[in-house]
Amino acid sequence: MSEPHPAPPPPVPQQLVPGPPPPDSAPAGARRTSPLVVLVHTVTFKQARQVVPAAIPVVAAIGIDGPGVIVAMVLAVTALSLLFAGLTWWRTTYADTPSAVVVTRGLLARSVRTVPNDRIRGVEVEAPALHRLFGLVRVRIDAAAGTVTGGDEEVVVDGVPRSEGDRLRVSVLTHRRTARPVAAGGDPSALPEEPPERELARFDPRWLLYAPLVAGYLAVPLAAVGALSRLLQELPRDLRPDFDGPDLTDVRVLVLTAVAGLLLLVVGSVLGAAVVNWGFRLVRRGGSLVAVRGLLTRRHTELEVDRVRGGTLAEGLGMRLARAARVNALVTGLGAASRRGQLFPLGPRAEAVRLLGVLVDDPGPLRPHPPAARRRAVVRAVVSGLLVAAAGAWLAAGTGSWALLAAGVVLTVLGVPLGLGRYAALGHTAGPRSFSVRSGLLVREQAVLQRRAVVGWQVSQTFFQRRAGLATVVACVGAGTGGYAAVDMAADDVAAFTAAASGPWATAPGSRPAG
Amino acid sequence: MSAPPAPPVHEPAWQLSRSAIWLWVTEGVIGVLVYGVVVGVGVLLVPASAGGPVPVLRWLLPVLVGVYAVVAIGIRPWVRYRVHRWEVTAETVHTLTGWLTRTWTLVPVARIQTVDVTRGVLQQLYGLASVAVLTASSQGTVRVPHLELAVAERVAEDLARRAEQVRDEAT
Repeated sequence: MSEPHPAPPPPVPQQLVPGPPPPDSAPAGARRTSPLVVLVHTVTFKQARQVVPAAIPVVAAIGIDGPGVIVAMVLAVTALSLLFAGLTWWRTTYADTPSAVVVTRGLLARSVRTVPNDRIRGVEVEAPALHRLFGLVRVRIDAAAGTVTGGDEEVVVDGVPRSEGDRLRVSVLTHRRTARPVAAGGDPSALPEEPPERELARFDPRWLLYAPLVAGYLAVPLAAVGALSRLLQELPRDLRPDFDGPDLTDVRVLVLTAVAGLLLLVVGSVLGAAVVNWGFRLVRRGGSLVAVRGLLTRRHTELEVDRVRGGTLAEGLGMRLARAARVNALVTGLGAASRRGQLFPLGPRAEAVRLLGVLVDDPGPLRPHPPAARRRAVVRAVVSGLLVAAAGAWLAAGTGSWALLAAGVVLTVLGVPLGLGRYAALGHTAGPRSFSVRSGLLVREQAVLQRRAVVGWQVSQTFFQRRAGLATVVACVGAGTGGYAAVDMAADDVAAFTAAASGPWATAPGSRPAG
Repeated sequence: MSAPPAPPVHEPAWQLSRSAIWLWVTEGVIGVLVYGVVVGVGVLLVPASAGGPVPVLRWLLPVLVGVYAVVAIGIRPWVRYRVHRWEVTAETVHTLTGWLTRTWTLVPVARIQTVDVTRGVLQQLYGLASVAVLTASSQGTVRVPHLELAVAERVAEDLARRAEQVRDEAT
């Protein structure tokens, strides 16, 4: 705040400026982020964090005695943090020209990052809690252009006012969308305003009740308890709360503890889900899908409909009991796909299926896999138990110890429902414009993909699959995990399925009779 | 090898270079030597009087190495050579690879992004090269191992040129 620099220039709606775009050297409209971001970064030690590893030995050398030193150190660190944050703010500028986004930064070594508009895959506007306090947002621009270092594919403009963030998002996306038409002789001045929105999904707070059934959200309270107990261990002895340990012999205490623990799990998971998903809303705006979510950090993700190749419907074990599901979009060339692709975080299955139908045509009901696949699934699930049982029998004959044999038998018996469950998840189908495969025991995942999504097929047969007349078919896709498998389908159906799911070029693999 | 594009086939038609057999044999020999040295040192250094499973291992491990030698040198290269097939047609590249587990990979030329030719140390000894055809999917990579160098270069150049002409904008 104390830096003697002019306030950022008033936002110019660049996308409405008529005439030819200016030459793309010299980013004329270079802007600064809001000076308020200096305060945010001072509080969070964003830049000063880097000096912490160097500072620790210094502090250790001085030694801490007395409250005066501590206060002085806190002041010094804050001042240092303010200095770093101020310098960083002063040395950072960004510009969105009609052809590229340019971010310049660096205290001593200057770095200029130029991302051409046609390499931009999406824009995300997020507002962490502290940013919201100052009315700021953080804009993440996801670029398909790799960096020299290879790691970070994102360009981040941290700390601009909300209106400027929205302007930047619209501007970048408009430039990108018109990049090709303009090159083809279109009229850049005829750019549309933000097109009207159509709401696809809206979060219902009642859906939070599903949260205790999702493993990911159950982990939230467990992690919190873990962190808290570690914190208690770290506290100096005289600060630690002093209470007697509970009397573990009392049954009532045990029951109470168990009930309290369960309650904590349930409430914690619901709270965790609420923090992430509160106010979730998915709208279609022109050629984009826009998802907004989050209680403390508002996240605003934009996906281009043209790049959507399909989606996955995931149901965990507990979610299946309550008929709940999640939907992720499969988008080509999307960084951090599992976070950004999330279109429907948690909700009733029927709603999830409807939303998936918006992304990609429904290919029809899944076809189950042949009985040989069921046999194979059960055999695979049982075989380890049988081995243990055999070893146990040998041991029992030698030493008379029956424990291992009993364990082996139990494992074998448990393997049967496991194998059956795995088989029940299997299925595939091909419709006129899309196809689908499903598998998974704990988390059952169904991928529904457009025909054009397929960039290749991989068909594999192990020795045992060949004997059973089965094959595993992987549709290679340039989105999501890169491949989605139909496990153990009949080898004779492979050629028909691959051809139906992509095109006549795909009749080649696996059509040879098995064996 | 760059035969006129055949109609869509049901199994890749072309075999690898016969030198591939000798390359796999060489790999097998190297593997057997490494295991043999490790086991030999173990047998020499660990006394037979040591307890536990040592007496059993002293004869079991050399036997296992012997079996591995027969499989890796005498059987696997020839089976592999019979299984491995590849073909480039007007529309697709496809391969059949594997030994016990067989894998067909099929990629349309229109979805090819890059074509790599690589030569390992052993491959250079035998005048061979591998072609890798990459797509947007991490799993959709077609690898044709052990072609004669001239063939590999011709195939790579041909594929790259055709992919350029018919490339889909979409991935």
